[in-house]
Amino acid sequence: MASQSECHKGTFRNFISVAAFFCLLVLPALGRAENKCPWMNEATASGILGGEAMGMVTGSGAEGATTCEFTQLAAGFRRTLSVTVEVTPDAHTRLQTVARNCGGDAAPLKAIGNEALFCPIIDHKNGQGEFAVGRVRDQVFTITIKTTLKDDPILTRATLIVRIDTAAEQIAGNLF
Amino acid sequence: MRYSIGVVLMICGMLLAGRWIVPVLAQQGGLQQAAADPSPPPAYTPLPNGTPPIEDTPAQREALAKWKAREEQLLESDRMAHNAAVTRSYNFHFGKLNPYTPGNITVQGKGFLQPDAYPSAEYCGTCHQEAYSQWRQALHSNAFRTPFYRTSVNLLIRDQTRGIAFARHCDSCHNPIGVLSGALTEDSKIDRSHFDADGLTCMTCHSVVALDSTNGNASVKMGVPSVIVDERGERIPGMVPFEMILKHPERHSQAVMHDFLHTPEFCAACHKANLPVSLNDYKFIRAFTAYDEWQQSKFSQRNPLTFYTADYTTCQGCHMKRNPNTLPDYGAKNGTFASHRWLAGNTAVPFYYGFDAQLNKTIEFLRSGNYLNVDIFALKINGDEKLIAPLGKATYSLAPKDIVQVFIVVQNKNIGHSLIPEVRDLYEAWLEFTVKDAGGKEIYHSGFLSPDGMIDPRAHSFTNRPVTDSGEFVDNHKVWTIHSVAYDNTVQAGRSVLVRYQFQVPADASGACTVTAKVNYRHLRQSYLDNVLGKDHPAYPVVEIASRSRVLKLGENRPEKESPEDNPEWMRWNNLGIALLDQFQYQESIQAFSHVVKLRPGYPDGYINVGLTDIVWEKFESARKAIHKALSLDPESARALYYDGLLQRRAGNTEQESADFNKVVKMFPQSRDARRELGIFYYRQHDYPAAIEQFEALQKIDPDDLAAHYNLSILYRRTGRPNEAAAQQAMFADKKTDPGAPTYSLNYLHAHPEITIESIPWHLHTDNEMEGGQPLNGKSVGMP
Repeated sequence: MASQSECHKGTFRNFISVAAFFCLLVLPALGRAENKCPWMNEATASGILGGEAMGMVTGSGAEGATTCEFTQLAAGFRRTLSVTVEVTPDAHTRLQTVARNCGGDAAPLKAIGNEALFCPIIDHKNGQGEFAVGRVRDQVFTITIKTTLKDDPILTRATLIVRIDTAAEQIAGNLF
Repeated sequence: MRYSIGVVLMICGMLLAGRWIVPVLAQQGGLQQAAADPSPPPAYTPLPNGTPPIEDTPAQREALAKWKAREEQLLESDRMAHNAAVTRSYNFHFGKLNPYTPGNITVQGKGFLQPDAYPSAEYCGTCHQEAYSQWRQALHSNAFRTPFYRTSVNLLIRDQTRGIAFARHCDSCHNPIGVLSGALTEDSKIDRSHFDADGLTCMTCHSVVALDSTNGNASVKMGVPSVIVDERGERIPGMVPFEMILKHPERHSQAVMHDFLHTPEFCAACHKANLPVSLNDYKFIRAFTAYDEWQQSKFSQRNPLTFYTADYTTCQGCHMKRNPNTLPDYGAKNGTFASHRWLAGNTAVPFYYGFDAQLNKTIEFLRSGNYLNVDIFALKINGDEKLIAPLGKATYSLAPKDIVQVFIVVQNKNIGHSLIPEVRDLYEAWLEFTVKDAGGKEIYHSGFLSPDGMIDPRAHSFTNRPVTDSGEFVDNHKVWTIHSVAYDNTVQAGRSVLVRYQFQVPADASGACTVTAKVNYRHLRQSYLDNVLGKDHPAYPVVEIASRSRVLKLGENRPEKESPEDNPEWMRWNNLGIALLDQFQYQESIQAFSHVVKLRPGYPDGYINVGLTDIVWEKFESARKAIHKALSLDPESARALYYDGLLQRRAGNTEQESADFNKVVKMFPQSRDARRELGIFYYRQHDYPAAIEQFEALQKIDPDDLAAHYNLSILYRRTGRPNEAAAQQAMFADKKTDPGAPTYSLNYLHAHPEITIESIPWHLHTDNEMEGGQPLNGKSVGMP
């Protein structure tokens, strides 16, 4: 026969399970409701990241930047694809300013929007990634693909370049 | 146990919330490569010609059968899972039975077809490296992703009363994998990273199993992609090992090379388009008809009424010419391969992508082929009605202060469709005309480019102006807003246009003036480029397709040596006659054709052209004489017989009318005009079955022919077929031009006096003030 405290523990565990159930039932639905990224759907982001990703949209479309963040969570690592878009009158200058984040590594992404640049994200401690900044008319977008795996078998250095190009083409295409 | 329940509940929660739908569809890894694998293709030695195909052993047949069964099962189970996921949230705006409407495309089997059912272009490119490398730079592979397309289709997607479901109209041709997979819906669950960049990939065209009609808007049936068939000719889906193909290339051909791929009707599926009511909520509007233009041209040999004749040439004959291949390609024959560049007029896409080879070959293509002829044909000086023509043969004098009118004849000589074809509102072809004095100083210039890249608004351009119901130009290719076309100055295949300019020789001029006329082409219209890219984009290429210069000496001008770039003299007059006919200048047209008759008295078409003009001018007696003369020279001339049929009808000679039209139909069974007139003949004779036969045949040639719809609606009703009659009646009502449409055009023209003159066929471009004191500086002048 279980003691009273064990019984309470059991009830508490049940409560936690049920609460978790409802949280998981509701939260993803909320997440999905928020996932109205105008420039990329979850499936495409998942294809680019190489695994199932969930998306969230933050920021206002009217003022300031809007961000779509797609995250693939797995045991021990995380892959993310984030996109920001802002409308600015001097978009070319803004693009050049943002591209300074690349230091001297910025290289042109051909035939993406009006212009686009990309560079690797070097983070020896926290994995690796790729960054791109581009422009469609007066809209400046940035794309960041990151993995926390140092030797990610899918987001390798070589495929990251292809993937950032694919992502940039998708984003730019939808901004036209 | 309790923990287990909790875990199960958590999993259920996640599933119920639908979070794992996406992962099911996410295609992992293996993003398409940017270029074909440069490694050599697998070894293959073709068997000598005439060698029968290798016969499989029973064991091989069994193995293949097992392979096929497995692939079919895999495809089917994937397809079911795909449909279960997509159908749930798909926007069936046009009903569950019309998932791809407003496009006409359909697909074999049940439901949407998953994108990974299509073998990738890289897979095909392993053995077809030449085809792959050409295709990658061609319009077909870039049909979806280019900014020029995306801008238009995004406007439709963002349109408040339409949305992405309506984009199936455009994407059925530009991105068929997207449409058929069900990706075109608001809450898409499909990974687009694998197919958007490939537009029309190899296995879209090579998977088509049937052509539904020549209606366009992607009127094809897509098969389940298959690169090989078994020994019974049954298709095996999926990507098979290359060894399987190389062992049985004949089976590979059977799967991917249908005979219709060589026909213009195949191209018609997408190179013909209309705007259906399901798209514009208005009515059927013909959008572009490159196929019909070809079908009516001399190159089809299906139309007896063309002004000139030529060898039979298909779309593929011009746009897929065989060239020596530079890369390994097992599809090559005798070291040559049918071009998968589909060279045509689009310089914008290769310019944007930096595809230099495609761009240079496109420019070379536009300048080759003797497609256009520019003829500085005649002058009129100081208002004298006497035509000084043809230049180069005529003697005349020119002096300072003379007011000179120059007649430029532009002939669409060897294009199998109009100049400009297809989406005329997006492309620019125009005539640039300059007059310079002996020192090179400009006296007159029409058709220049402004510093902002815009064309001189008074230039003569071979374009059109679609307008909305508010009378506004549809500047952004928002085709669903088109309600009318204010004017259409394209030059149909085989026809000519006369463009007239007037300038004054400066008082201090000496020596000579040089006049130059050039047909320039730009893909795309500057304002559209500005809309797509903003105004800070680089200048897009302007290609000079054809040009001609002549020196007009001050003083006496005598006949010159003939230039090889000029047409023969009779043809020059003939082209003038054609141009004048199209500008309703019948008397002058007959005068021009009379020169043809004089120069070539044994040429029946000279007389036919006189007769044709007389018919249009309603001078039937003169027409009869001319047509009879033509028939005396060539009793079998289908063209003469056709016009004779019209004249016999007018004279009440039904027997001869019937004989004429029947003979023409026998010689040209795909002549839409002859079928139409023969149908009308039988209708008037109350021979309804015979009339129905003709109109149904006409409808097979052109499913949108109004006369066919109208007459069949009556004929079916009279022969007890009310449902078919009602269908034809509805199509007639839908396709007939809206009687209110001209109002929209007039509203536009009223608001744009700078180009109103372009809507008048007979007009003059000038900077001078004319006699009568009209204020004409900087304007073109219409002549009543």
